[in-house]
Amino acid sequence: MADAVDEARIGWVRQALSDHERSLVRYVARLLGDEEAAREVVQEAYLRLWRASGESDPRPGADGHLRPWLFTVCRNRALDALRREGRMRTMELDEAARAPSPRPGPSEQAEKRESMGRALEALERLPASQREVIRLKFQEGLSYKEISAITGHSVGNVGTLLHVGIKTLRAALSEDEGVTNARRRTP
Amino acid sequence: MSIDANDPRLTAYALGELAGEERAAFERELNGDAALLEEIDAIAAMASLLEGELASEEGEGLGAKGQEAFMAGLAVEASAGRPGRAVEGAACEAPSARVIPFPFWKVGLLASAAASVLLLLVYVGTATMAPGDEAAVASSEAGTPERGWEVAPPEQEGQEGQEGEQGSTTEGLKVPVGEAPSAPPVSATPPPDAVSPTVPMPPPVSTEPVVASADVANGDGHVTITAKPQGVQLRVDGRLAGGDLGTLKLQQGFHGVVPGQGQADGYGAFGLLGGHQDEDVDGIPTDGDGRWRSGVARGESYAKVEENAFKDVRTDPLSTFSVDVDTASYSNVRRFLRRNTLPPMDAVRIEELINYFDYSYAPPQGDDPFAVHLEVADSPFDAAQGGAPARRLVRIGLKGREIHAQQRPPSNLVFLLDVSGSMEAPNKLPLLKQSLGMLVKQLGEKDRVAIVVYAGASGLALPSTSANQTGTILGALNRLNAGGSTNGGAGLELAYRVATEHFVPGGTNRVILATDGDFNVGVTHGGDLQRLIEDKARSGVFLSVLGFGMGDLHDRTMETLADKGNGNYAYIDTPQEAQKVLVDQLSGTLVTIAKDVKLQVEFNPAQVQSYRLVGYSNRMLAARDFNDDQKDAGEIGAGHAVTALYEVIPVRGASAPGVDPLKYQAPGTLTPEAASRELLTVKLRFKQPDGDTSTLRTFPLEDAGRPLSQASADLRFAAAVAMYGQLLAGSAYNEGVTWARTRELAQGALGVDAHGYRREFVELVDVAARLER
Repeated sequence: MADAVDEARIGWVRQALSDHERSLVRYVARLLGDEEAAREVVQEAYLRLWRASGESDPRPGADGHLRPWLFTVCRNRALDALRREGRMRTMELDEAARAPSPRPGPSEQAEKRESMGRALEALERLPASQREVIRLKFQEGLSYKEISAITGHSVGNVGTLLHVGIKTLRAALSEDEGVTNARRRTP
Repeated sequence: MSIDANDPRLTAYALGELAGEERAAFERELNGDAALLEEIDAIAAMASLLEGELASEEGEGLGAKGQEAFMAGLAVEASAGRPGRAVEGAACEAPSARVIPFPFWKVGLLASAAASVLLLLVYVGTATMAPGDEAAVASSEAGTPERGWEVAPPEQEGQEGQEGEQGSTTEGLKVPVGEAPSAPPVSATPPPDAVSPTVPMPPPVSTEPVVASADVANGDGHVTITAKPQGVQLRVDGRLAGGDLGTLKLQQGFHGVVPGQGQADGYGAFGLLGGHQDEDVDGIPTDGDGRWRSGVARGESYAKVEENAFKDVRTDPLSTFSVDVDTASYSNVRRFLRRNTLPPMDAVRIEELINYFDYSYAPPQGDDPFAVHLEVADSPFDAAQGGAPARRLVRIGLKGREIHAQQRPPSNLVFLLDVSGSMEAPNKLPLLKQSLGMLVKQLGEKDRVAIVVYAGASGLALPSTSANQTGTILGALNRLNAGGSTNGGAGLELAYRVATEHFVPGGTNRVILATDGDFNVGVTHGGDLQRLIEDKARSGVFLSVLGFGMGDLHDRTMETLADKGNGNYAYIDTPQEAQKVLVDQLSGTLVTIAKDVKLQVEFNPAQVQSYRLVGYSNRMLAARDFNDDQKDAGEIGAGHAVTALYEVIPVRGASAPGVDPLKYQAPGTLTPEAASRELLTVKLRFKQPDGDTSTLRTFPLEDAGRPLSQASADLRFAAAVAMYGQLLAGSAYNEGVTWARTRELAQGALGVDAHGYRREFVELVDVAARLER
């Protein structure tokens, strides 16, 4: 029988789930190149959150770091999964980068390509470590410090990855500006 | 100079990551260097571009169903084991990586009662199912594309002697709603029989007798199939389009094997087990063809709609109601149809469907805020074909004064935006940003915009800013991210505070709430929120509501809020709808030209025997409320048109079924006016937007006996929309109403249709007709 304490815990996990699961799945899907596998990883992370919430006091993330905690667990699990599948021999993420991205159907793909902004196109061409940090920063709104905690890069390193990544993107965009504009005008 | 373009601090600075001493030191080093400042601006611009584009990236996440399934699993773990420990023998034992051989979310479990969704219990019996065949086997195949409902011989024999009395009956059972409370309770623990060890399951699937769990493809819901001694129990969490379990299609992930042979041939509503917190759980769950009457489509809640019936003019000579310029129901219904699903009946508010369209009513000439246009012709609802129809259709058309963009008074707008986690879907926050961006571009220097967001905490994302700073406003919009729970109440208070601080006398002062309607933290209790909104409306700050998204749409909450706040409620399902509401009809959305607009129709008993008002079911007022200026009613915006239709049965026509003549009373005496040819008199009351006392106008109508074919295109089109609404809402007055007639009538009344809305309507009629078949 679930008692009141359990009810509260369940409510807490439910909230954490509805608040963050979507961005976690999106993030992990990028790492694994597989959205279904990403869902698994994210659910495993929440299962861990649930269990940890019964064992440790205070609860993980009770200090306001729930979101980075979940990202960290998801990332570690995702890397485990990649290692298990032999798709990654080291902690190097670039390996995973070459894995196919989440597999949408052909029509979805066409749609995606059409709606994909120029910055996103360029982003896909960056090294995986920069891409990951850029996504964590601009898609998930995490701070340098939180990104550092999640990825294991030092805060300074996070700053450098972001700086270099943005610089490359800017160069890429200004380079094909003319081309893109011309293409846009003739659909 | 120690800073060059490769210094990562440039990016950190642009992103606001440098703080305190570090920041001060960096600024000293920068020393106002123009090239570096430009570099920083360029980095910030790139950052904002990335944020915008990344925000639009799609992602399904687990979905509401995935979340529910997961939480259901946790509830079982919580009830079966001690906190923090895995359940023995259950799926959750997960010591290490290869782990979780059968994660419970793959198997699917009974949802917990804590899940405040409406549950519908359905028992399936098959005619050919033999006792003992109950056992069924789960097979979970993640990622399998959509599959049909598969029926196959059982892979494992069940145990004998477990047939329940009501098991394996040949038909689905339908238990009256009144017995709902006695239906098997669902609690945080599985029902006792659900854990019965006598139901064999092949290892390593858990001892849970859950056979399969899947999403419904031809509807909007989730199905859990559980083995029971008396058969297979199907639990539908959501809504089926066809309602016929024989054609139940399950989406990816699982396929269940139904024991026995042949098709599942029965279904039945067992009443409501759970209850949505916002929902009247006394609603009738289905209307017999599988559509949910009291519609809850996975977390969506709709207030029950009671249709207006025919009223006898001798006993009810007055019909009184509040105007309604909301249009949300139309776009919401369209969303369902575009997904090839019939909408829940209670999602259909016929007046909102009718008022979605532009009608070519002439605007007022004098000082009055409206013109009133009356018309009467044969009723297309009448079943009598070929002869002279007995019933007549009266159309009351109100047209508000038009205000051109240049004459629009200054606006003080506060966007109150829901950025909670539930808003993350592509059709929510990204569409919201796009929509409000369109609105901002319509505004000028005399207008102001502030942005307040609410989620776990509420906050001011943009202080009130002159609307000529389009870039600043769009930038602030673009930076919004979804995350956190919803605290609409605190956000609303803050939004009102900002609106009050920048109050523009004589201008538009309005909070525009954009949300999926999920106010779930600490609000709405005891009507506090409603009172706040009513108070503010009295002080001149009105509230409009823009609904977004699907799945968590709390239709009723949103309509009520806009209603109390003297505002309007629109549902934005596409960028095109945003264009209609926020660009083409911006003046109407922003500028209120009259408030508390009430209509009262007095019927002449010498001419009319009975009447019914089409739609406006939840807008009815008592006759005495008409003259009561304290009684709140609907608002009309600039250029808005409001249309109401009455079906009337003339005295000379066929008699409607009614009560017998009174034995002790004679009909009251008639005034000399009754001898006129007037069918009815429309009385209209309204207040100026800042006024407290109402003005009365009256408009009599005579019937010239026009046939429908000579009626205006507007009357014919409005009638077609009403027929469409009645068909979708399962009206009791559909005897002469068919999809074919609806289509024909609409097709012949397209008029100018500059925006193509009427043509789109004809398409929707075709979709609905196909789905109903």
